[in-house]
Amino acid sequence: MLQVRDGAGETLGVLFERYHAPLYNFYAKLTGDRALSEDLVQEVFLRILRHRQTFRDGTPFRAWIYQIARNARIDHFRKSRPQVPFEPEMAPAVTPGDPAQQQQESELLHRAMMELPEEKRELLVLCRFQELPYEDVARLVGCGVATVKVRIHRAMQELRQIFHQLQAAPANSTQRAAAQSFPPRRMT
Amino acid sequence: MKCEEIAVLLPDYLREVLQGDQKKVVERHLESCVECSEVAGLWKQLALIPDEQPSPAGRARFDAMLQAYQAGQGSEVVTRRADKGASIWSVFQWLRSPVGAVAWSIALVALGTYMGLQLGSAKSNSQDLAAMHTELTSMRQMVALSMLQQQSASQRLEGVTWTRREEHLDPQVLSALMHTLRYDQSVDVRLAALDALSRHAGQPQVKKTVVDALQEQQSPLMQVALIDQLVEWRDAEAAPGLKKLRQLPNLNPTVRQRADWAISKLN
Repeated sequence: MLQVRDGAGETLGVLFERYHAPLYNFYAKLTGDRALSEDLVQEVFLRILRHRQTFRDGTPFRAWIYQIARNARIDHFRKSRPQVPFEPEMAPAVTPGDPAQQQQESELLHRAMMELPEEKRELLVLCRFQELPYEDVARLVGCGVATVKVRIHRAMQELRQIFHQLQAAPANSTQRAAAQSFPPRRMT
Repeated sequence: MKCEEIAVLLPDYLREVLQGDQKKVVERHLESCVECSEVAGLWKQLALIPDEQPSPAGRARFDAMLQAYQAGQGSEVVTRRADKGASIWSVFQWLRSPVGAVAWSIALVALGTYMGLQLGSAKSNSQDLAAMHTELTSMRQMVALSMLQQQSASQRLEGVTWTRREEHLDPQVLSALMHTLRYDQSVDVRLAALDALSRHAGQPQVKKTVVDALQEQQSPLMQVALIDQLVEWRDAEAAPGLKKLRQLPNLNPTVRQRADWAISKLN
């Protein structure tokens, strides 16, 4: 990143190779929209080019890039409200040898994730899927490490409740998924 | 220990970084608390949700964006070099002396007063107009960029039309236009993008994108349009690409004929 900052634009290609898939997954799991996720990843790298001078030596790069990613998403939704937040086909794909019950549970879990309030979903995506250190997540969301841990616990408890509700009414949830009616709640 | 107290420890336990007494405390709690135990199970189950793979077009979009950005930066460097050339004025270093500064100040105040009297209102108007023009340009480019990303082909077509209103395009808009040329689903939109890009032949990445697109496009209509564009630009570097194209086994005969004609023109 220091080379990119000092003007070696080609080095950005290396960073793209390393980070575009994790960033894409961050957005895909957060928004449930593939096309938008692709666009936001491009926006992140454009912002890195434009704001590379703001990168300071010693700053954890992953935290910096995810800060840019969060800002890009916030700016996007400030301009336009999310309209197609969940693509049903984005539910986990069938894998050979996957027991039917396990597959069904992972689908329900995916839907439960999409029903979580956005800030809780983001926290789980950052900690569980992106595996960012809690210290980095605390810096990103602007609170202490202990607060992050408590919030993760609460998010998991809420996920558990939604998951149970979906398990109790799988037929309804399937209908709702077909109608693409999973608008993520706005950040409070 | 209560669930509220375990909340701070559980995330570390789930990441398997908790050790010693604290780990034992959490394990004891999980044995007695169904809710927290389920949470721990759910955390593991989240791994069942697979990762999504980004499309390969993402890399091409990124390359186009990077090229467009660097081209923009290149022109800035030229400007900076021109500024350095101005250092020949350093022979007037004496003007930096206190006496020189006073003389300059008096001269500038006099000049300023005179110019102010002569052009005062006109100048402020022209400044306002320049600012408005810049704002309008930026707004048009933003509209174009937004329309190029719409689902509807007619809206994307309109987006391409918007880009024609500007003489100099923002790197991001240029990059989006090149992406449209290569990957848009509609032939009409791709043709319109080619037409819009033909005005930006000065940008090296535009010519390269058109040459690359020649190998990628399947539509004969599009292939002929690309060939004609390369001939119009008299881009001799396109000849190898054209030769490669005409050797494709299932190429439309009309396209092959056009490619032959183009090769003869460029040689």
